[in-house]
Amino acid sequence: MSEITVERLTKRYGETLAVDDLSFAVEAGRVTGFLGPNGSGKSTTMRALLGLIRPTSGRALVLGKPFHELSNPVRTVGASLDASDVHPGRTGRSHLRTLSAAAGLPNSRVDEVLDMTELTPARDRRVKGYSMGMRQRLALAAALLGDPKILMLDEPANGLDPQGMRWLRDILVALAAEGRAVLISSHVLSEVEQTVDSVVVIGAGRLVMQGTLSDLVAGDSRPALVRTPRMEELRELLEDFGASVRRDGRADTMLAHGVSLEEIGTLAAEHGIPIYELTRAVSTLEDRFLELTGESGNVR
Amino acid sequence: MRILRSEWLKTVSVPTTWLLLGAMLLIEGLAAGLLTGLSELKDLKARNPATLLIGTPLPTVLMFTLGALLATNEYRHGTANQTFVITPRRERVIGAKLAVGLVVGIAGALLYIAVNAGLGLSILSNRGVEVDGDLAVNIYSGVGVGIVLGCLFGVALGALLRNQILTIVTGLVLFLVRGVVALFIGTDVGKFFPGEALISLQGTPGADADLLSQVDAGLVLAATCAVLAIAGVVVTRYREIS
Repeated sequence: MSEITVERLTKRYGETLAVDDLSFAVEAGRVTGFLGPNGSGKSTTMRALLGLIRPTSGRALVLGKPFHELSNPVRTVGASLDASDVHPGRTGRSHLRTLSAAAGLPNSRVDEVLDMTELTPARDRRVKGYSMGMRQRLALAAALLGDPKILMLDEPANGLDPQGMRWLRDILVALAAEGRAVLISSHVLSEVEQTVDSVVVIGAGRLVMQGTLSDLVAGDSRPALVRTPRMEELRELLEDFGASVRRDGRADTMLAHGVSLEEIGTLAAEHGIPIYELTRAVSTLEDRFLELTGESGNVR
Repeated sequence: MRILRSEWLKTVSVPTTWLLLGAMLLIEGLAAGLLTGLSELKDLKARNPATLLIGTPLPTVLMFTLGALLATNEYRHGTANQTFVITPRRERVIGAKLAVGLVVGIAGALLYIAVNAGLGLSILSNRGVEVDGDLAVNIYSGVGVGIVLGCLFGVALGALLRNQILTIVTGLVLFLVRGVVALFIGTDVGKFFPGEALISLQGTPGADADLLSQVDAGLVLAATCAVLAIAGVVVTRYREIS
């Protein structure tokens, strides 16, 4: 049984279809990136998983159950939907104490998570004085209070500086290594690229793909990168072969679509054209994401 | 019990709670002190001095505002997400908020009475004005119950409406604009509205004879709070948190 299971989830708000027949699963011991442009339905899906909204149809399950049927939700799921979800007049510590009290946890646990998130020096400051990065840490501290099996974090890297990003990456990877299922949503793809083991990509509320990070980056659509001193000659040959070719900015390099590396190598050998470099062009998660979702708006 | 503790911590950990309580005590203490200390002695003796002690509906309105904040801060600041993830049985959260509202209301009423009576009655006594003890007890009881119900009214209305500004404006209209709805209906149902019922509850001598009796007014306000609270629980239970 997966830690998180979304089965044909659909959520409609009036005429707006926020989530459309979405299915995916999240396993323990991995950091799963939940990727999609703004407004693609990531937060709505997370809210459905947490029982905050009701699906129009389909199911959103945690450990095989709807959230409200969990016997101990605090120990099962720790969630942060928005780092700004804090009363600005409370101190970081008092905010966590209100939550730990509701969860029946001792105050010592508050101090532990403050330590884990390196917020102890700021614990008695009012949250209105916190930076965005500190609020993100506080949100993670709140999610960790119950030492949960599953962590669900909506855009946890928003507002973090490079040091904060590295810290978040390290702590999420460590938490997953302890056997937890970690689901993090993001539309800032570069920050997720170095953190996640697997990805769920959605666009316009629909599943675009689910798989490992290498599954996402891999794909025949990546062009072949060819470096040769006789570029024009090889270019003509490749175009005659049916490939589409374009320069990549350098004088001796081009990118060829619709032709395999083997075919290029053979063609060059047959005509005695030297090849200095022949490889698949590096595709970043960002490139692949844009290719999959077909959307560029709001993607940084 | 743990939800109750959490709601109590939420209430006492924000400065607004203490500011509102402090404002209520300061304003009412000043009002009582000024009215009893500066009024002409012959005026004080001519009127029943206990009537000077009740001031305005201000303490009830301030405690209503405190109750409204207690319920709506969760939505205003987004903490409802965490609250209802930790406690998926939302009716328990609203129940705990009402219980905390009751405790805060009682504390506010006792503090108000202590400050107002302590200051006002001692000044009157020093100025040689006799106070009708029974009437004073009657008035303070009514004002005290009004403060408690006002706080509960705020929690219940806030749970129902969720929007902080809408809750406070609605409450102020209901408490301060007398018979606002009755004007349109053209009947005497206005006396059952919170503003009228509060005046009746405070037991103001010489108040409109058409108003409810003090006990009836208390019951009407309590029943109104109960209906709003039930509606708030039902709505919170089924409404989506988004």
